[in-house]
Amino acid sequence: MINLATRDIQHTLGKFIATAMGVGMLFGIVLIMIGVYRGLIVEAEILINDVNVDLWIVQENTLGPFAESSRVHEDLKNIIYVVNGIDKSEAITFQNIQLPSRDKPIRVVAVGYDIYGKISPLNSSKLIEGRELKSDHYEIVVSDKTGFKLQDEIKLGRNFYRVVGITTKTVSNSGDPLVYLSLKDAQELQFLYSNKEIQNNIARGIQNTESYMVNAIVAKVKEGFDIEEVAQSIKKWQHKSVYTSKEQKDILAKNLIEKSSKQIGLFTLILVVVSTIIIALIIYTMTLEKMKEIAIMKLMGLPNSLIINMIVKETLVLGIFAFIFGNIFSYLTYDSFPKLVILQRSDAIALFGVVIVASILASFIGVKKVISADPAAAIGG
Amino acid sequence: MSKASGIKIKNLVKNFGKGDNLVKVIEDASFEIQKGEVVALIAPSGAGKTTLLMMIGCVIEPTSGEIWLGEELVYKDKWLAKDTRKIRREKIGFIFQAHYLIPFLNILENITLLPQANGVNKKDAEQKAMELLKYLEIDDKAHSMTTQLSGGQNQRVAIARALANNPEIILADEPTAALDGERAVSVIKMLKKIATEQNVAIITVTHDDRILPYCDRIMKIQDRAIVFE
Repeated sequence: MINLATRDIQHTLGKFIATAMGVGMLFGIVLIMIGVYRGLIVEAEILINDVNVDLWIVQENTLGPFAESSRVHEDLKNIIYVVNGIDKSEAITFQNIQLPSRDKPIRVVAVGYDIYGKISPLNSSKLIEGRELKSDHYEIVVSDKTGFKLQDEIKLGRNFYRVVGITTKTVSNSGDPLVYLSLKDAQELQFLYSNKEIQNNIARGIQNTESYMVNAIVAKVKEGFDIEEVAQSIKKWQHKSVYTSKEQKDILAKNLIEKSSKQIGLFTLILVVVSTIIIALIIYTMTLEKMKEIAIMKLMGLPNSLIINMIVKETLVLGIFAFIFGNIFSYLTYDSFPKLVILQRSDAIALFGVVIVASILASFIGVKKVISADPAAAIGG
Repeated sequence: MSKASGIKIKNLVKNFGKGDNLVKVIEDASFEIQKGEVVALIAPSGAGKTTLLMMIGCVIEPTSGEIWLGEELVYKDKWLAKDTRKIRREKIGFIFQAHYLIPFLNILENITLLPQANGVNKKDAEQKAMELLKYLEIDDKAHSMTTQLSGGQNQRVAIARALANNPEIILADEPTAALDGERAVSVIKMLKKIATEQNVAIITVTHDDRILPYCDRIMKIQDRAIVFE
């Protein structure tokens, strides 16, 4: 039997491909939106994964350094270290700062850690140039997204810091690039007041102890110990909030990413619905253009199934072409987006399923038109 | 050549609407057309020519009466077959005012579409189509698209398409309206030849006086009744 859909598509190939490309861009945006969501999750977990610890000990009744402000004493790490089941513990700081650059200031998250400690948030596999921090002062490792080069001098607070290392794919949960400082420098940046402020405080009899604060203590649990049990014992005796890495990720997912993901999800859903409506309208228009031929076919006695088959096949081919163009479009553009976009094959496969269902739904309007076509319309000019 | 009945109509009535809005279009029409005959159907616009053609073509349901196509009674106060489309597919060929060929199919595909839908295999359908194209002297255009043919050539393809399913009757709706005098005469001569040689009954609706001399009979609709000249 003659494949009417193929013949019709061949007859208007240019128009068909242009239409498929247009719809494909919509599907491409859908893929990119899903990729942005995937990127959000990955970015949110980069730092937690790089620190790679079992426990996060933070200020009591706070959710930890990523969700709420938290301050604990640096020496808490020593107290934690002697808790039964703790293998190693370190102090760590996080703060948002702006790096001055030639073009415009860059917002980054500075991570401070003890460069002589046993836990480092700097994942050496992500170090693409230079080295890790070796000096307690005035050295900085930056993400490649900041645009700084090795040996660049960056003024932070009162001092200049020399770039000694460059990392890649290191961003905070908000997508800002990470920079790494020694704990002492980070504490100074975050907690040390100006000389005038210190003088005023001394005159008032206030001792400045802030520069010995950190934002969290991170710890690894010895093998054979239950992480939850160790966390419970710290909570009980140290009056701190303690979270496992999984709990920290959950907090991030719930408090920080949930709204964004809902927004992206809703936006993606709307795009899919819009794409379905657009395909339906295109198929409806394509069917309208063929109404005379359809009426003739019905008048000659061709069964509806043959004509419906043509409409449904054309819709499916349009959907599949649009899906292919959408994938090409997303792969060509995803790297240009400022935030991380992760395109996953599983998402593309899921979208393919949605496209097939959407195409079948979209073809209904054309099929309805075919069924209602009056064969008598073929006669009488 | 046998003179079997091609179309037989008995007491056919067609009304539209009801009550005060009742419009009577055809009243108590009875006539018979033999196979091998070409009958012209003429009437002023709005007199019911197309309605009559559509009733014979099993497209519009009459109000009452009988319709016989060949030896088969297809309508007696109701359609006697469940699928009137199958009757059209198997017994009737249609020719239209314009050729109305399907623009995305080539000439051969346009002709073989209906036989293939009737279950004829592709090879046999193509062989028959080529015979018809040869008969109509356009076999060299078999693989052309409709846009590559002249109006007269396309109309010949439309005739070939109407013949492709070996119909017992052909219903033509002003088949020469879009053609100049010479081509119009050529088409009606061809229809006459087909009627005779293929043993088909042909009704052609027309406003074209040029073709009337080539028809066997002229049928008119006058005051909702069928009369022959």
